[in-house]
Amino acid sequence: MPAEERETVAWPADGYVAVVKQDCPTCRLVEPVLAGLPGLTVFTQDDPAFPEGVADRRDDTDLDASLALGIETVPTLVRFAGGVEQGRVVGWSRAQWAELTGVAGLGEGLPEYRPGCGSRTQDPDVAEEILVRTRGGSLRARRLEIAALEDEAEALFDRGFTDGLPVVAPTPARVLRMLEGTSRKPDEAVAVVPPNLAEATVEKVAINAVLAGCRPEYLPVVLAAVEAACTDEFNAHGLLATTWGAGPAIVVNGPIRAEIGMNWAGNALGQGNRANSTIGRALQLVIRNVGGGRPQEVDRAALGHPGKVGFCFAEDEEGSPFEPLAQSRGVPPGRSAVTVFAAEGPRGLADQISRTPESLARSLAQGLRSVCHWKLPGGFDASLVLSPEHGRTFREAGWDRARLHWELDELLLLDRAEITRGAGGIEEGVPARASDRPVPKFRPGGYMIMYAGGGAGMFSAVIGGWAGGPGGSAPVTREVDPWR
Amino acid sequence: MHDFAALEGRGVIAAFLASTQFVVAAAAQAKALGYREVPSVFVPHPIQDRTDAEMRALADAALEEVLAAVTRR
Repeated sequence: MPAEERETVAWPADGYVAVVKQDCPTCRLVEPVLAGLPGLTVFTQDDPAFPEGVADRRDDTDLDASLALGIETVPTLVRFAGGVEQGRVVGWSRAQWAELTGVAGLGEGLPEYRPGCGSRTQDPDVAEEILVRTRGGSLRARRLEIAALEDEAEALFDRGFTDGLPVVAPTPARVLRMLEGTSRKPDEAVAVVPPNLAEATVEKVAINAVLAGCRPEYLPVVLAAVEAACTDEFNAHGLLATTWGAGPAIVVNGPIRAEIGMNWAGNALGQGNRANSTIGRALQLVIRNVGGGRPQEVDRAALGHPGKVGFCFAEDEEGSPFEPLAQSRGVPPGRSAVTVFAAEGPRGLADQISRTPESLARSLAQGLRSVCHWKLPGGFDASLVLSPEHGRTFREAGWDRARLHWELDELLLLDRAEITRGAGGIEEGVPARASDRPVPKFRPGGYMIMYAGGGAGMFSAVIGGWAGGPGGSAPVTREVDPWR
Repeated sequence: MHDFAALEGRGVIAAFLASTQFVVAAAAQAKALGYREVPSVFVPHPIQDRTDAEMRALADAALEEVLAAVTRR
């Protein structure tokens, strides 16, 4: 029953209130004490006929009084004067009951002390119902009724809420539990989500986090990712609408990586870790379900890639030869942050021979050069995920991230003769020009270097992006902590 | 389509122009923006690999339709 339709529970302004349940041995033990206590109102949580002999005995099987009184243990005896609580005793203690009531010799023949039992409000089987009853009024999203004979998972497919994989039904209780992951209010605006430019509230993001399979503690990361993705610089609308196949990816930095159990080690870019898999998925479901961005509608990708279901991983900050990516992008040390970037699927890049940073950098540059097209410079951004066995070579040589960027920039100056239209027998390329100056493969700041992966394997990965800069998409970093 | 909506909002007469591959995307976005119908012209696909001369020919061929789209009420 919605909260506004329930009667307000009340009890006499002066006297005693006890909350009990028949199922509790200590409550049964004090039954004769309750029967003899003047000015007592008893709320009973399970059997309305219990305890016997009490004049003012009230049915609290709906637990309204127990919740209003904040009962965690039964029996609890509370004294009121003028409607204000004067004190309470939890469980049975002859001395404490006597002190609270001022009645000497209570419970003759009973033991001196017996601990109470858990209140029914604490039972897992009623916790969900209580959560919805007490806090469900804060939810604003339209409620959908699913018929008793409908399969829940099938119903969510039929209504178009999924990315093609099953989703977790966003019941009010699950959404409320998800909202416990943030201190932000459910109706607070997070972002305006393209392509339909619909406002995403904290509640709407939480609903999609439930659909994606997130735990509540992931929610601040999802909120930060939605905030970052729905900026003009990231241009989620363009990334969605382009016929190119990239989608949004998220790399996470800072303490929250470990707090929520993210993976930055073996198979960091792959499957198997709940946080990695569901955070990226939640962002894509927000774009689908709030923004209205659906494949073959406004999502015009000719091919797309499997990571468009969700692509999220953490950086290995502890093992990295470089400062964390977020720090290199202006986030203070010790803070958690997400960086969203346009991403194709990762492509492995093997070099199992190079022992010098110069040789390895040349290999990495070759891989980066293949992004978009080997002959095309300047247009597309990219990311390089450096693995531990490749990172070792740069650490031992004392190269930091800036040095590697500098070296790669030099190696990624393309010879005009190689990239002109028709060169190499390939019509694609840049128009012929009088100048023979080399052309940079990437715009300034057009590729990021990250560090993750398992300890064995001299394989890094190149992740192609999309058109960078104005009109395209630039990576965007946002702090997670404001969303906690 | 958002550009069309923005121009129309400023009182600038506009029409939506794209290649035929974007008919469905245009309809989805127009519906989401609350339009029952948007004056639209779709030129033959493909576009990306066309030469400048071919693009001019596409534009010339579409001119009558574009003029009709921005003048028809």
